[in-house]
Amino acid sequence: MNIFLEILVYGAVQSAVYALLAMGFCLIFGVANIVNLAHTALYMIGAYLVYTFFSLLRLNLAMAILLSTVSVGIVAMGLYRFCIRPVMYSEWSVLMVTISLALFFQQLMIFFYGPPDRNVQGFIQEKLTLFGVVEIDAQRLLTLGISVILLILLWLYIYRTRMGKAILAVAQDREAALFMGINSERVYLTVIAISAMLAAIGGAFIAPTLGARPEMWSPPLGRIFAVVVLGGMGSLEGTILAALLIGYTEVIISFAISSYFGELVAVLIILLMLTFRPSGLLGKRIEV
Amino acid sequence: MPGQENRSIFTSERIGLLIALAILSAVPLFIKDRAIVELIILANIYAVYVASWDILCGYTGQVNFGHALFVGGGAYAAALLNFYFKTPPWVTIFIGGGIAAIFGLIIGTPCLRLRGPYFALATFAAAAVPYGLTDVYWEITGGLDGLYGISPIWPTLAGRYYFSLLLTALCCGLIYAGGRSNKGLILKSIREDEIGAMASGINTTRYKLVTFIVSGFFAGVAGAFYSHNQLHVGPETLSINLSILVIIMSVVGGIGTITGPICGAYLLTIFNEMLREWEELRLLIYTATVVLMLIFVPKGIVPALSEGISQLFKKRKGG
Repeated sequence: MNIFLEILVYGAVQSAVYALLAMGFCLIFGVANIVNLAHTALYMIGAYLVYTFFSLLRLNLAMAILLSTVSVGIVAMGLYRFCIRPVMYSEWSVLMVTISLALFFQQLMIFFYGPPDRNVQGFIQEKLTLFGVVEIDAQRLLTLGISVILLILLWLYIYRTRMGKAILAVAQDREAALFMGINSERVYLTVIAISAMLAAIGGAFIAPTLGARPEMWSPPLGRIFAVVVLGGMGSLEGTILAALLIGYTEVIISFAISSYFGELVAVLIILLMLTFRPSGLLGKRIEV
Repeated sequence: MPGQENRSIFTSERIGLLIALAILSAVPLFIKDRAIVELIILANIYAVYVASWDILCGYTGQVNFGHALFVGGGAYAAALLNFYFKTPPWVTIFIGGGIAAIFGLIIGTPCLRLRGPYFALATFAAAAVPYGLTDVYWEITGGLDGLYGISPIWPTLAGRYYFSLLLTALCCGLIYAGGRSNKGLILKSIREDEIGAMASGINTTRYKLVTFIVSGFFAGVAGAFYSHNQLHVGPETLSINLSILVIIMSVVGGIGTITGPICGAYLLTIFNEMLREWEELRLLIYTATVVLMLIFVPKGIVPALSEGISQLFKKRKGG
């Protein structure tokens, strides 16, 4: 029973972070058709910036998070404008540019902060006991809460506002949206800023638990691939469902066998899904 | 326009290749610095990595993000055979190639249906599986440290050098000839318009699968050679960093030309050595170069240069 509750809680935290990251990744892919391999690099930058503002410069927490989120959003828009847009005529140039950018930022962080981990003190220090048995850092629960709130806000933004409608329209058919007078370039920039800021917030809240490390971008990249492939590229509901599946599978396997196999499972899911159902669980039928 | 190259560039390209081969074969006679000879051995091996990557990716237009799967597969197959069964190197090199070719068949079959980003994701994921397995079965593979004490291909440095040169000349020569043949043209037609190629009666599935196997075979041979050259095999031969390095070398040289990526391999290996003093800046400069190259010189250095030179000649003849 204890183990069951522990899996329930830790799985929820894990899934929420994956959902937050995968949502941004999926949004850019669905709307602008960009596979942004530098997405988790933005998450890493978020973690490092929060370390800089919060632990080094000792700004207050809200200020530190706000500053790092906004600066990551600006960086992402710059990257789109100057690095990604010039090569958007070819899908694989985008892949290569973004993976190079991810490595570039990894090295940049090593250059500025050095290779060792940087520890960020917890936003909330205490430990909580849930249901009387599950011990968990309050920081993890905070991450879960923030992720859920952000996902709800994102959902409201996309389905309840004018800009959200424009985003959906461009995702459906860019040219038709252009004819309706939607500025697709502005939609792209908005989507990129939103997804980058989601990644940055994820990184900022995960930093106290995992620390800020230069290689922290690569493990979640594999996971969000798995989430996005499982859920169907471009399907937001599918992404949430898949994030839950992958997050829980990983936690269950880590508890049952070892965390190594957790990583392999994500990879196997990608391969099996791509072989047998490339459109994902809830994805629209696509030509792959 | 791809597929409409000038005939005269072909011959000058061949002369250039022969000159390059002559210079390379003279290296151990004139250069006495062991470190530099070792470096050029490494460049020779990398040249095979990128050439085998290019025949699959440059020619069919599918970017393989997991080339390390083939390289590492060959390297580990050769190293394990040599380490546990004392199989001699000239046998293990071919077995390594064979194992990597089988990997090519296994990963190629599901990947045939995929295009663009999906293909990249699948190959990326496929390479991550054996990388994780080396750590899980560390009793056999030596885990993160790898295995030491693999027998050398040849005891002396000069001998090893000539073996590596032979490997490069043979493998790259075969790949180059294949790329320039009718079969290469068919692959290019698949890249330009797969449905058009199908409509012309080409069995695109079979061609792509065979290319996967060929690419895997040569990468595996080179990987096996690498482990006999380093006397060591480690998970770095399976890592995503190696896959990306291969892509970087090809992008810098010029994808889809075979000779371009090979030049890229030599250039970057030497560049790498020159930047040794700025260890932490190295990857920073590399990745920034790739981004800039893709934006401003998407064709790559070699095609851009050869185009410039041939235009210069045309002007001279015309005026």
